[in-house]
Amino acid sequence: MPPPAASSRYPSPSQPSGKSEVTDLKSQLRQLAGSRAPGVDDSKRDLFKKVISYMTIGIDVSSVFGEMVMCSATSDIVLKKMCYLYVGNYAKGNPDLSLLTINFLQRDCKDEDPMIRGLALRSLCSLRVPNLVEYLLGPLGSGLKDNNSYVRTIAVTGVLKLYHISASTCIDAEFPATLKSLMLHDSDAQVVANCLAALQEIWSLEASHSEEACREKESLLSKPLIYYFLNRIKEFNEWAQCLILELAVKYVPSDSNDIFDIMNLLEDRLQHANGAVVLATVKVFLQLTLSMTDVHQQVCAIVSVYERIKSPLLTLVSSGSPEQSYAILSHLHLLVVRAPFIFASDYKHFYCQYNEPSYVKKLKLEMLTAIANESNTYEIVTELCEYAANVDIEIARESIRAVGKIALQQYDVNAIVDRLLQFLEMEKDYVTAETLVLVKDLLRKHPQWSHDCISVVGGISSKNIQEPKAKAALIWMLGEYAQDMSDAPYILENLIENWEEEHSAEVRLHLLTAAMKCFFKRAPETQKALGIALAAGIADFHQDVHDRALFYYRVLQYDVHVAESVVSPPQQAVSAFADTQSSEIKDRIFDEFNSLSVIYQKPSYMFTDKEHRGPFEFSEELGSTSITPEVSSDIVPAQQFEANDKDLLLSTDEKDDNKGLSSNNCSAYTAPYESSNISSQMQELAISGPAASATTTQSSFDFDDLLGLGLSAAPAPTPSPPLLKLNPRASLDPRAFQQKWRQLPISLTQEYSVNPQGIAALTVPQSLIKHMQSHSIHCIASGGQSPNFKFFFFAQKEAEPSDYLTECIINSSSAKAQIKVKADDQSTSQAFATVFETALSKFGMP
Amino acid sequence: MEEASGRRSKLTIRSEREREREREREREQYRSSMLQCIFLLSDSGEVILEKQLTGHRVDRSICAWFWDQADSLKSLPVIASPTHYLFQIVRDGITFLACTQVEMPPLMAIEFLCRVADVLSDYLGGLNEDLVKDNFIIVYELLDEMIDNGFPLTTEPNILREMIAPPNLVSKMLSVVTGNASNVSDTLPSGTGSCVPWRPTDPKYSSNEVYVDLVEEMDAIVNRDGELVKCEIYGQVQMSSQLTGFPDLTLSFANPSVLEDMRFHPCVRFRPWESHQVLSFVPPDGQFKLMSYRVKKLKNTPLYVKPQITSDSGACRVSVLVGIRSDPGKTIESITLSFQLPHCVSSADLSSNHGTVTILSNKTCTWTIGRIPSDKTPCLSGTLALETGLERLHVYPTFKVGFKIMGIALSGLRIEKLDLKTIPPRLYKGFRAQTRAGEFDVRL
Repeated sequence: MPPPAASSRYPSPSQPSGKSEVTDLKSQLRQLAGSRAPGVDDSKRDLFKKVISYMTIGIDVSSVFGEMVMCSATSDIVLKKMCYLYVGNYAKGNPDLSLLTINFLQRDCKDEDPMIRGLALRSLCSLRVPNLVEYLLGPLGSGLKDNNSYVRTIAVTGVLKLYHISASTCIDAEFPATLKSLMLHDSDAQVVANCLAALQEIWSLEASHSEEACREKESLLSKPLIYYFLNRIKEFNEWAQCLILELAVKYVPSDSNDIFDIMNLLEDRLQHANGAVVLATVKVFLQLTLSMTDVHQQVCAIVSVYERIKSPLLTLVSSGSPEQSYAILSHLHLLVVRAPFIFASDYKHFYCQYNEPSYVKKLKLEMLTAIANESNTYEIVTELCEYAANVDIEIARESIRAVGKIALQQYDVNAIVDRLLQFLEMEKDYVTAETLVLVKDLLRKHPQWSHDCISVVGGISSKNIQEPKAKAALIWMLGEYAQDMSDAPYILENLIENWEEEHSAEVRLHLLTAAMKCFFKRAPETQKALGIALAAGIADFHQDVHDRALFYYRVLQYDVHVAESVVSPPQQAVSAFADTQSSEIKDRIFDEFNSLSVIYQKPSYMFTDKEHRGPFEFSEELGSTSITPEVSSDIVPAQQFEANDKDLLLSTDEKDDNKGLSSNNCSAYTAPYESSNISSQMQELAISGPAASATTTQSSFDFDDLLGLGLSAAPAPTPSPPLLKLNPRASLDPRAFQQKWRQLPISLTQEYSVNPQGIAALTVPQSLIKHMQSHSIHCIASGGQSPNFKFFFFAQKEAEPSDYLTECIINSSSAKAQIKVKADDQSTSQAFATVFETALSKFGMP
Repeated sequence: MEEASGRRSKLTIRSEREREREREREREQYRSSMLQCIFLLSDSGEVILEKQLTGHRVDRSICAWFWDQADSLKSLPVIASPTHYLFQIVRDGITFLACTQVEMPPLMAIEFLCRVADVLSDYLGGLNEDLVKDNFIIVYELLDEMIDNGFPLTTEPNILREMIAPPNLVSKMLSVVTGNASNVSDTLPSGTGSCVPWRPTDPKYSSNEVYVDLVEEMDAIVNRDGELVKCEIYGQVQMSSQLTGFPDLTLSFANPSVLEDMRFHPCVRFRPWESHQVLSFVPPDGQFKLMSYRVKKLKNTPLYVKPQITSDSGACRVSVLVGIRSDPGKTIESITLSFQLPHCVSSADLSSNHGTVTILSNKTCTWTIGRIPSDKTPCLSGTLALETGLERLHVYPTFKVGFKIMGIALSGLRIEKLDLKTIPPRLYKGFRAQTRAGEFDVRL
């Protein structure tokens, strides 16, 4: 997805260029500015409206700024509002002009009409011009004390805006303390809610460098305060209720009485008309049950909480707009996957209505798949089969897949097999295609159904199937059940003769294998076809097809029986298909209930942290296309990180190794560079257990030589090294790192085991970086993907500029970490390694 | 550093700049202000209106990005763009698009956008591009009060109405009293000052009126074998109240036990409902939705629809009968039947013995029946021609049924009485009920 081009605006074709109109407006406004004639406000209104409509369609009207401000000396509230709107839009771009506005806004802040006071204050705070903050203090201070709650509400939000413009000004004026007392004592619920929102934000941000703020932030989660809010939650409007509920999610209850008290207080929130309130309440309930210590009690509570929250959620699904249903269904899906039995009797809620948008239908299909069990499978499958004849082809496909999934997760598939076979009789190409794939999977799991299936599948003409996946499935069945299908060899032969017309590599691969299997069972009939297939395969331009054909050919040459035992061993039923999402990831999403994560079905780190995700994606992309250097260098510019990396890494290379190459020759030089890079990358990918240990031993020789010790590769049992203090704020320029890494010899190589918690936490490589940073070991570069991760770390001695550079390769499948240490002061590298090991061993520990 | 640079592609250098960005992100994490910008887009993708909500300006180009996405992505309510997360709802051809960069409850954004759409359509008397463009000042004013610093504020229509005069009122005022100092400000902040957030402090009416409407929708699915797979009522209790002072109302039903999955307006007190199934509340001023409910597992639909399609050698014969299955006691009106002809149908020749049949170019066929005549059973019949090469029809249409019945709530729910604690002078109470088809699908 390319970032949106900044230039592509939306000019409507009929839109005027604006130039002359704006000058026109300017002079008209100027005329009206001083006038006090009756009816002048009306003409102003028309002009203002024109200005703002230009602004709205994207014409730059900032040049009338002065005139607009001059005209705004009026008591007409609509005029004021238009002027505030205008000023708010352009002030940031014209800090000089906004001085003009400050004057009149400040005056309006003292207007007798509370609405004008409030609106003026809001506009004043929304100007967001850093050098004008001192003008905000006075109006904000009096706004917080205003006797009208409307003005106070706006002033509180204003404090937060001020904080984002200039945090120090806001803190110095002691606004947070004022907000705190307002939050505890104000009579107006909206003022209290805004105080809470503002204080939460301010204290969370201040907490990192002020202990007092840290205490205050924690005090927000204290029992009295939480109850203060929860007891009067009904006084707040629905959005403020969401805010309070989110605060309650973070509260850690002291005991089970506490938990039940809160649940009782919030129970009626589940019937609120606003879905956001309901979901926020559900999250509090779930969080509370998770915090229960007694496991038995917890299980009971969870079941009862699920029962309790089920019906409000189901109602929201069917009564809201499709967009709301979508958001709620995503959350329900999470609960349903956790406890399908609780929802098993509510399956009718997930029946698709004809008019629903397909994104809702898809989620409903997933839901039906998840809750199918012995008691409701018949009804659900019947319903799904009706969708197969749906006009919406995509949904028809999805429902057939859903039937297949249910078939795979059930023990009694008798009826479902019949249904699937009926699909084949519908003679609709996409239905047939989807069904074939499913029948294949079903046969892999329940081979006992082969007779029923084969008789129907045998009747399908391969000519009617175009989709590669379906074709491959059919061919697989032809090969696997060649003995039961009388004309299997001839169908295969027919397909092989048309080898050239078959463009999909997947299908060609399956043809080869099926021909082999068929050959072992019915050699005389297949021999010729197999010969043609192997010849065509070996001549194939596709690497995999070529390799497989060659492999089969050689195995056949070597020994036909060996070939049979390799290609066509006795069938083994597949007991379970791999789940696409690990349970660990599902748990993470569950923790993030009522957030975007649920919609994307990914924990937030997988999508919110785009910039971090970048490099990992990048390496994957390169890995898959690295066969042709040109392609990869084409892809490279797409990633913004590339520029950085290339700069940093190439520049040193150029200087030190390739002095002859001028820098503008960069692209020509990339290609060979890339290819050497690929070979090393390939090697690295190939390295798993044994290869890694080989490098260990080899580099440990270096280490031995250097220190002149014996051959023992184990870390030298030196007398316990003095405790090494590291500088927590160490910094090292990447270029300096590279240089040092080149210059220094390896002073130490070691291998550690990583504890399982650490390996689990490594699913987010960033977390290791953060963790090591907390031990004053900083990451300078990282990369790789499961199971091989690679990090470059550096650290500095507390008192002196002595650096330790470390390369750390972690293999998550073998749970081993291998480190190479290079140090300025080699005598302390063992001590550093100890620190490093200690830090690493704590990774993943709570 | 040959080794490291040799694997250039697998490494990322963490530059100072990136660490700076990380700190920035940490700061972002704590932002409670959530939505950064709201756009209103026309059905051609043009930005009708833009409202920036925080200091982080969102460039309009995000709308261009959004509009250029493929339909399968564009129709989703929540979309991740390269720079922002987008929430969208579409109402009457207008797309309400909100942007954020922080993690937030998705339903909150969607609920808020729905509320914005409702309030706008209420204010402008409908929603379309021209209405929004003609009244964009009002729209700006409303958005200003509905959301501040990215966090939703006041969305209660009754209170907004007090702060911002609806367009017709403004123009009326303007024509009558031009140059009048301030047309709304006197009554303005009272809503937020009231101890009941949904009610203005002290409205006064010369005649006191309160109306209760039961509005029910029937959702039903009839499967291919004519079985009723699902039949539910989704109902709302809508009220319109113009009562002086601070009225305290109690509404009770004759048979509250039929109700399930209730959702209440914030004004409804929870305890009386829990203990005696009565609704006790201080109503908002004007029109509002008091509660919604669902009644499940109904046994019958008022109408039956019997479709039949037989196909052979490239032609299909269609016949559909519609009649009354169980007489609700009141006239069933506005009966319609609509369905989508399958893609493979090249032409259709359909006619009926009652009502009118129209087929649009997008192959939507609508049969408008009106009322069921007493002398005959309405029947739609005719033939469909399939595309050449097709022998039989394999994709069948789903028939959507529409109807309306005035004066009855099909769920059987009955209002017993509506009491006021203190009875104001000249009080008028009224009750009405109606049922219409919601999603009533008959599959073939």
